Amino acid sequence: MSGEVQTTTGSQLRYGPVGSQRDGGPFTPRQLARLDEALTLSSKESGLTFSVYVGELKAPARGHAESLFERLTETSVLVAVSPGQRVLHIVTGPESAKRLPNRACALAALAMRASFSSGELSGGIVIGLRMLADAAGSA
Amino acid sequence: MSIVETVLIFAGIPAGITAVLAAGVFGRSAMHQPNRYRPGRPWTYAPAWYVPHPDAVPDSDSARAAIERSTKATAAVGGASGEW
Repeated sequence: MSGEVQTTTGSQLRYGPVGSQRDGGPFTPRQLARLDEALTLSSKESGLTFSVYVGELKAPARGHAESLFERLTETSVLVAVSPGQRVLHIVTGPESAKRLPNRACALAALAMRASFSSGELSGGIVIGLRMLADAAGSA
Repeated sequence: MSIVETVLIFAGIPAGITAVLAAGVFGRSAMHQPNRYRPGRPWTYAPAWYVPHPDAVPDSDSARAAIERSTKATAAVGGASGEW
């Protein structure tokens, strides 16, 4: 994950590995715009820094998600989704866990699972971000 | 009728109708979501990390730098998991 920064629609920053980048990401421009809007609004409203990782999580998946989180700040919330393995992990840090108890994360994970199992990948991520932001309240 | 005319009428016209119907049924969804996710299918896309717009959060610049340079190790405290 030594990051290559790509600018896509809506000033969306996207971090991906160098080299194996394929042409055309998994999301359409409209889905990317919705994702960008959800990320930005959730972060703005709650004061927490939300970020979304979409890709393979090496086993153990929880450990990989937590090692990804180590690079973020204490007020960050990481939503890691691996569509291939059908797992999702929400990781909170020392500060963000005070605002987001594990119960709230589990509820958002439940809603995301329901969307993912019907094939709604971007929709599920957007719903999860909104629920997490609602649970965290305003800063 | 020559052979060419016979082929055009009895093979060309049905093939054309089939193509029009198939385009009507599948074309729109293929244009809207050419790479739609379906559960159970393998995921062949490279990993991507999406972060909020830099103007939205004051520390997003540092978050971006942290992702890129991996300068520190913030402990993960809580969260949730799920499978589908």
